[in-house]
This record gives sequence, C-alpha cells and structure tokens, in this order.
Amino acid sequence: MVRSLHVMIMYVLCHLGLIFFMFPADIIASTEQGHWFPILIGIIVHFVCLLTYMKGLSFFPTKDILSIFSKSKKGVTFLFFAPILLYLIMAIIITVRAYAEIVTLVFLSHTPLWTIILLLLSVSAYISYKGIEAILRAAFLLFILFFPILLFVLIMSFQNVDWRYAIPFDTDLGFISKPAYFESYFAFAGGFLFLGFVQPFFSYERKNVILSAIFLIPFFLFSVYIPILTLGQASASKAFLPFVLIVDSINIDWLMFDRVTMFFLLSLIAFIILYLSLSLWKAIRIINYYIPKSRPSYLLFGLSVAIFFVCFWIPDWKDVENILFMNSFLRSYVLIVVPLFIYYIGRRLKRKDTNETI
Amino acid sequence: MKLSNKNVIYLICSLLTMVLILSGCWDNKDINHRLLPVSIGVKKVDDQYLVILNIPVPIDGSMETKIVSAKAETVSKAVDTISRNMESDVDLLHVKLIFIEKETAEDGINDIIAGFMRSRDVSPKALVAICDEDLQEFFNNIKINAEKKGLSTYNYFEKNAGWNPDIALTRVWEVFRGIHSYTHDVAIPLIRSGKDTTMDQIGSAILKRGKMVEQISSNETLLYNVFKGESGNGKMEVMEHATVMLLGSKTDNIGRLVNNDAHMESLIKMRVVILETKGEPSLNLIKEEINTLISERYNKLFTKLQENEADVFGMGQFFRNQIPRDELKNWRSDYFKNMKININVKIDIQNEGYLKTT
Repeated sequence: MVRSLHVMIMYVLCHLGLIFFMFPADIIASTEQGHWFPILIGIIVHFVCLLTYMKGLSFFPTKDILSIFSKSKKGVTFLFFAPILLYLIMAIIITVRAYAEIVTLVFLSHTPLWTIILLLLSVSAYISYKGIEAILRAAFLLFILFFPILLFVLIMSFQNVDWRYAIPFDTDLGFISKPAYFESYFAFAGGFLFLGFVQPFFSYERKNVILSAIFLIPFFLFSVYIPILTLGQASASKAFLPFVLIVDSINIDWLMFDRVTMFFLLSLIAFIILYLSLSLWKAIRIINYYIPKSRPSYLLFGLSVAIFFVCFWIPDWKDVENILFMNSFLRSYVLIVVPLFIYYIGRRLKRKDTNETI
Repeated sequence: MKLSNKNVIYLICSLLTMVLILSGCWDNKDINHRLLPVSIGVKKVDDQYLVILNIPVPIDGSMETKIVSAKAETVSKAVDTISRNMESDVDLLHVKLIFIEKETAEDGINDIIAGFMRSRDVSPKALVAICDEDLQEFFNNIKINAEKKGLSTYNYFEKNAGWNPDIALTRVWEVFRGIHSYTHDVAIPLIRSGKDTTMDQIGSAILKRGKMVEQISSNETLLYNVFKGESGNGKMEVMEHATVMLLGSKTDNIGRLVNNDAHMESLIKMRVVILETKGEPSLNLIKEEINTLISERYNKLFTKLQENEADVFGMGQFFRNQIPRDELKNWRSDYFKNMKININVKIDIQNEGYLKTT
C-alpha cells in the first residue's frame, strides 16, 4: 500500500512535537551569537543521515529493518538492535517525564505528576496497541485538527519581534563542546527511525519524505529565532522554555481567548502522544522479534508499566537532563551508525546480486 | 464490527474509567471558590513586601471591589497569606496590571519581575505601572472610584478602550528584557489616583536595568511611543499659531560608528491635520513650528536619557552590526552616553479640514 502522505505527515508531526520545547533552550544555551550555524549543522546532519538511511533501505524494498537481518544469526543482530531498543526506551522515558513536567509547569500546576504520566502513557500505549495503521491514521486526523492552530500561533508569535536582534551573524565553533548542543539533537534524531519499520506495511516515496524534512527547516529556525528576536540573547538564555514564554506574551485584542498558549501546548502534546505511540510500537517490534512467542499486547503492557515506574522514580529536572545527556551516545549511534550500517549492507547485497547475475 | 460480550464489558469498563479521569477532579477548585484579582500592588517595606490585591467581586449583578493586603518576606508568600485568610482561593491567573510603588522601583524591581516571570500564573503580558503615591492610599482611592463612579482600572490601559498615545504600555516581559538586555531599557507609566478619574497619568518612569532612574513627562512619552512604532494617532499638539492632530508617524534610523563614537541619524516623519489656527499662518510656518517643537522635545529627552545612560529607545539595536557583542555589553556607558544624535523631522500636512489655509 502506498501511503506517502501519511508517512509524510507522521514525519512532520513527530518532529514538530519535539522542536518547540527543549530544542530552543538548548541551542540558545550552546552559543551566544549566530544561532543559525548550530541549527544549520544540525539540519545538515539530519539530512545526511536521513538520505543515507533511506538509500540503504531502498535496497530492500519490501523488508523492514528487522527482516533485513533475518538471515543472520540472532545473537549478532542483537548487538545491532540492542542500542536502538535502549535508545527508544530511554527516549520514551525522557519524553514522558519531560512533557509531564512541562504540562505541570504551564497549566496543571496542582495536578500530581503521576496522573499526567499515566495519561500520556496510557493513551499512547492504546494507540500503539492498535498498530501502525491506526498510528498513521491518527496522525492524519491530528494534523487536520491541530496543525492550523499551531500555524496560527506560530504566525502570531512574530508579534513582538525586533529583527535587529538577529545580528551579529558571525559565529564560531564553540558550541560543539557544549553538552546542551548534543541534547538539542533530540529534536533531530527522534523521528526518522520509523521509516525503516513501516515498509512492509506501507510503502512511501523517498522524495516525499525529503519534502517533509525540507518543510521542517523553517520550524527549526523559527523556534530558536523567535525567542531571540523578541527577548534578545541575554534575556532568552534565562528562560527554561523560551518559545512557550514568547507564546505566553502574545497579546491579541480581537481574539476572545486570553492565552493562546493553551491551544499551542495542547496541539503539541497531541503530537507528542503520537510520537510516543510510534516509539512504543517500534520498541515492541524489536522485542517481539527476539521473543517471538509472547503476545505483543502483553509486552506492550509490561513495557508501559515499567516505563511508568521509571518515570515516576526520576525525582527532578536535573536528572531528566542528565539522562538526556547520557542518551546522547545512543543518539549518535542511532543517528550515524544505523544509517551507515544499513547502507553498507544494502550495497554489499546489491554487489552480490549483480555478481551472481553475471 | 460485531462485538462479543467480553468486548462489550471491556468497552464499558474503559468508558467508565474515562468518566473518572476526564472530570479532572482531584484538586479542582470551582470558579465560585476562586478569587481572581485584576491588579496587584507591590511595595517594599524594610525587608518585606507589602502586597495589595484588587479583587472584583460580583454581587447581585453589580461589581464590588475588594482590597486586601498582606505583608511577607516574598511576594508569593504574601499572596499565600491572603489566600489563607480569605474564604476562597486566590488565583493570579487573570492579573492584568501590576503596580509598584515609586520608592520600591527606585531600589530596583529585578526580583519582583523575575518572580512574576517565573510564576506560572501571572501572564508575562500583564502591564506594569509605577505608582507615585502611597500604595495603600492609591488602592483605596481606586476602590472608592470604582464603587461610587463605576470606573475601572483595567480599561485605562486597553488599546481598544482608554489608552492614549502618551501612555507608555509596558508589559512584564518587556521589563524583564530591559533588565537583561544590553541595549534596551523601558519606560513605565507613572500614575497616581485622580480626583474624578481612576488614575492620573503624570508621565513615565525610566527604568534602567530594572531601577527607576528618571521621570519623563507625558509629552516625552509620546515621543517614546512614536519611536517604538506605537501609533501616535489622535494626539494633539498646540503651538503658537495652530493646533494640529497627529495621524501617523514613522521613524527611520541609521546608526554609524565613527572613530568608535556612535552617531545617529534619525528621520521622523509625521502626518498631521490642522484643527485650529490663530490668525492666518502659512502652511510653512505651521510646519516650521511643529518641526521646532518636536525636535526640541526630542533633544531634551535625549539629553536626559544620556545623563542617566538609559537607552529606552533601544538605539543600541541599530549598532548591533557594528559593535561586537563583548563591547555591546557596555553599550550604555561606553557608547550611548556620548552618542551624537541628529534629528530631522519631516511634517506632512495631510489636510486642513473644511477651511483653506493660505
């Protein structure tokens, strides 16, 4: 089944959910001026990895990333998949915990954290239980419902912009050594892995995925630049969630709602729930591959409960940040090693095929 | 889809659970148990903060104003004390105006503003004003005015209601930016309670890095608003031979750095209509008069600002491309203080009303 549009939308939504929260603060913390440069490097890395990954996958048009290795020994492939699995589970934990904290921070200040964690996890576990088909359909629906709102808020957030804050443009490479910069890759590395998992269920055209990645570039830029242009670097660096702060200070006389932040946040939370369900689904696929006898729904339930307790056990924000930083190593594995490896196997297979036909 | 009995039971159970979750009832306080203050006053007394809240209470179809106050070590503690003593919960979600007493502002309001920015209830777009009389007395007068004469405080600053172009409109996030930014200071409306009106505006306070350093008149505030790009629409100017009304204005600024000295060329374009004349002045004479009036006023204001090293116009913004960021830190003291300003005013008389002017 060709479902390019669904895959495109899924790709966009996953990233949108991740972009507007921690990403701006990380970039602002990693450099003092010329923020376009770290963002650009991130985008280039993102594109290179995406292209390599998709090129590699295109050698196996009907297989997903797991069945590519079906001929190899399971022990060997486990070495390849264990870090991915670990990365996925850690990413889920970080996302659930961080967004639960953000929800309490912005609007549900009295509600206990565990209820929000429970809500995020249960909804996403339910969607992922229904399978990839349901996830992609839900993405389509959420896109129609929430994307216009998001776009409206984004356009409105230009209200207080002073373009001169973008200057000076010149920049240096000092950000490379900052931990915050590596944490910012969370927004880049989060989404693209799923392209390798959907293939037997859906096929998609590579060109379309690249289009949606291009579509995301302005969002990456504006999420950082709108806080900079409104507050200036010196003040924006003091903010924990710079973009949310800017959205909070939008003043629209003619709108009957006082705070547009609520709309903005709820649409992004919906996207995040989608991202979580997708990650859960991927993780279950990997686990199920190694424990084929167990039922996926039990695995899903077990994993969700485990994640719930881990999230509950993380006491404060500093620990979330530490885990996010520790996750950087796994993230670079997912971002660099996985696409390269898939590409390498694909090339080798192709060479073998051509040799055999000759 | 046909449902088996087992599935029906599952469905009913999950729907019932949703009823429990969706009500969101754990610590919810109903609207009739909440007090929503519209304005909050803060004053520093020795080492403690005196916080006064203005709470409108609807009683039998009319509004009554309740003024409550408390003193504590911090603002939030004081609000908490009020909340404890009231029969309902105090919720700062709808605070529109923050009044700070003049003496407190002269000491610096960094901590107060940072507190409001940090807090999740007070919106960063709440307006800040400085009160030039005893805060307690001011709030009591507001109460008297509101109850006897039906005047409200909030509409005074609303752009679509009582706002005038010679009132500075400064929001919490702008004050916050002014505290941290290298090149931006802010002007805040300076008010006191009036005899027949709720408030009398006496000018604006100039805040440098969160400390009130100077006071400017309403006329000068108009220039501040014009410069900021806020429309000066509707403001009258009375001169020797004519009275004109301002329709619109635009400023063009070019900043140049000559031998490490800042030079500023600003061109102010104003569109006016003639309302009244004395005698038979020519158009050129009227233009000449406005020109002298505005440039003199601007020059006086600049001298005042330069003496205090307070850059409320954000002039430093025009030098961002010429001064490196490290030196921009000392923009106020190194450059702004000795900046040369050349102001040109260009007046367009859009029309002269029903009568001709020679």
